[in-house]
Amino acid sequence: MDIRRGLPRLLVTAAVLALPVGMASAQIKIGFNVPSTGFAAADGKSALEGAKLAVAEANAAGGVAGQKLELVVYDDQASPKEAVPVATKLVEKDKVVVGVSGSYSGSTRAAASIFQRAQVPYVVAYAIHPDITLAGDYMFRVSAMGEVQGRGGAKLVQNLGKKKVVLITVKNDFGQALAAGFKEAAPKLGLEILNEYEYAMPDRQFGPLVSKVKADNPEVIYASGYYFNAGPLVSQLRAAGITVPIIGQEGYDSEKFMEIAGPASEGTLVTTSLDRDSDAPATKTFLADYRKATGMGADMVAATSYTATLVAIDGLKKTGGKGGAALRDALAAGSYDTPIGKLEFNDLHEVKKDIQVQIVKDKAFHRHSVISDPVLLAPPSKSK
Amino acid sequence: MLIVELVAQGLVQGSIYALIALGLTLVYGLLRILHVAHASLFTLGAYVGVLLANAGAGLVPAFVGAMVVAGIAGVLMYRLAYQPLLDKPPFVALIASIGLYIASEEAFRIAFGAQGLSFADPRLQGQVALGGLHFKQAELMVMAGTVVIIGILAWLQSRTRIGVACQATVTDPQMAESFGISLRQVRDINFFVGSALAGFAGVWVALLNNLVEPTMGSVPSYKALAIIVLGGLGSVPGTLAASLVLGVIEAFGTIYLGKLLDRNAIAFAFLILVLMLRPQGLFARR
Repeated sequence: MDIRRGLPRLLVTAAVLALPVGMASAQIKIGFNVPSTGFAAADGKSALEGAKLAVAEANAAGGVAGQKLELVVYDDQASPKEAVPVATKLVEKDKVVVGVSGSYSGSTRAAASIFQRAQVPYVVAYAIHPDITLAGDYMFRVSAMGEVQGRGGAKLVQNLGKKKVVLITVKNDFGQALAAGFKEAAPKLGLEILNEYEYAMPDRQFGPLVSKVKADNPEVIYASGYYFNAGPLVSQLRAAGITVPIIGQEGYDSEKFMEIAGPASEGTLVTTSLDRDSDAPATKTFLADYRKATGMGADMVAATSYTATLVAIDGLKKTGGKGGAALRDALAAGSYDTPIGKLEFNDLHEVKKDIQVQIVKDKAFHRHSVISDPVLLAPPSKSK
Repeated sequence: MLIVELVAQGLVQGSIYALIALGLTLVYGLLRILHVAHASLFTLGAYVGVLLANAGAGLVPAFVGAMVVAGIAGVLMYRLAYQPLLDKPPFVALIASIGLYIASEEAFRIAFGAQGLSFADPRLQGQVALGGLHFKQAELMVMAGTVVIIGILAWLQSRTRIGVACQATVTDPQMAESFGISLRQVRDINFFVGSALAGFAGVWVALLNNLVEPTMGSVPSYKALAIIVLGGLGSVPGTLAASLVLGVIEAFGTIYLGKLLDRNAIAFAFLILVLMLRPQGLFARR
């Protein structure tokens, strides 16, 4: 090899090899799995906007340990079979230091064990299945588990002074967990469950169910589902002349719900994590910043995804950008002031917090009440 | 009383199934293609209806617009996707059809967003009391609309030249062609009419739910296949009857079997049962 031709080539090769390494070291990667397509794509969009906002704010403030943060985003279609390759790719190929789930329970459960095995901390925004934090000590969840929210729903019925309830349950992890919690708390609170019905996720027409509920003549209806089920459901219940209160949960928590159900949505109660009328600075700032960044009002999914990302970044700041066991311990020890309240993790890495009850008034969610019951709303811990 | 109400609700749902499944059965009768992408024309009709209404058009122009656009899209689908595959085995067209359906779902999502669209000013939402039963106006109108449109079709099919030509082509395409009937024209008309019906159904569903989503065709795409099999593949009266029967069975099933079987599984459980007892379909003449 001619040295005069060989040397520049060698230098170029060295430079090319060094380049990606140099670039990579300037970035701290946060993995994010989210349903960008498929039935949950609308929630996926809110989740992604929330996470992006948290990362953008952290980068604007100088990043972590002098390095910029990068959100590595993959679509999991809210499907377990998509979530497995997505989580594997995040851990193996992108080598993210921390993962954030902006997805549903099914996909998050599937991803959880992969992050756990790789010892990469995984902060879950709004997936509510109990198994997620049971996957191991690298798992964290910032929102209340389904069972806890269900118990909160039963407490709300009692607070309203009602007894006879009909349950309408969406047939998936989310609905089952809520119903389980509700049914567990109901006898303790003196509630009578007249009947329980289940429906499938793709259902939008509830004619027969509405007829039957009307015949049951309940004092209150506890119906789980997402805005795309709940919008048509609430509108159809009201069109059939049913006027009793309807209680929904986080799944209703979207502006789209009011758009679909229209005037029928007025007065609907929702147990959720985000209080639109909050005086807390963290919540007010988030609501304003989110509207500025996206032009839309924030929903529960956006707020919890923002929070989960914020928690992950907070941990990274403490470890100086390092992952693994150091980050796990930093996350577990932290206390966080977030748009969904002040959070601390217990030994199972679940949070204990109040449940916000919002009511639809003039086409927007407003504060109705807050359910605060440390015993009833206690998240599970390792001892239990 | 509850029983009457459940039957009525079943008939509302059955009317929608009928509108969707009719197009499918027309296509199957003519070309022996299982036209899964038919459901994307149902979605397309719903989107066109909502977009027109939100742009200020009245309900009637919104319906007509949805039917015309869905009809034209159906003819294009036939010309561009199915016609080149007619001499291939039927599963080739089926696969093309599934691909078309998936592509259309994503196209709707990219064009109009994942959250779906709603009417800015929802119409026909009022309550109607009819002999002690409560209906949404739209629920009564969808039943009436289905009866009227199917009546018109039946009349056209038996009383006009083109209708008779269609029937002849279904019975024996070669013979029909030798009598000077243009196969191409008959197929175009069939696709147009069937697709327009799907578009018509789409606007009704949009009105009933006040929600139009990219994925709204996913359940009808396969359930309509079950219906045409129940109806004895290619038989129009059979398809109508099967749609209504399935609507009513689902209405009762949702209430009394809801915990065991979800609503969308009931159709297939019923299909399996029927195929075991009457493999030619519920209403096939044989």
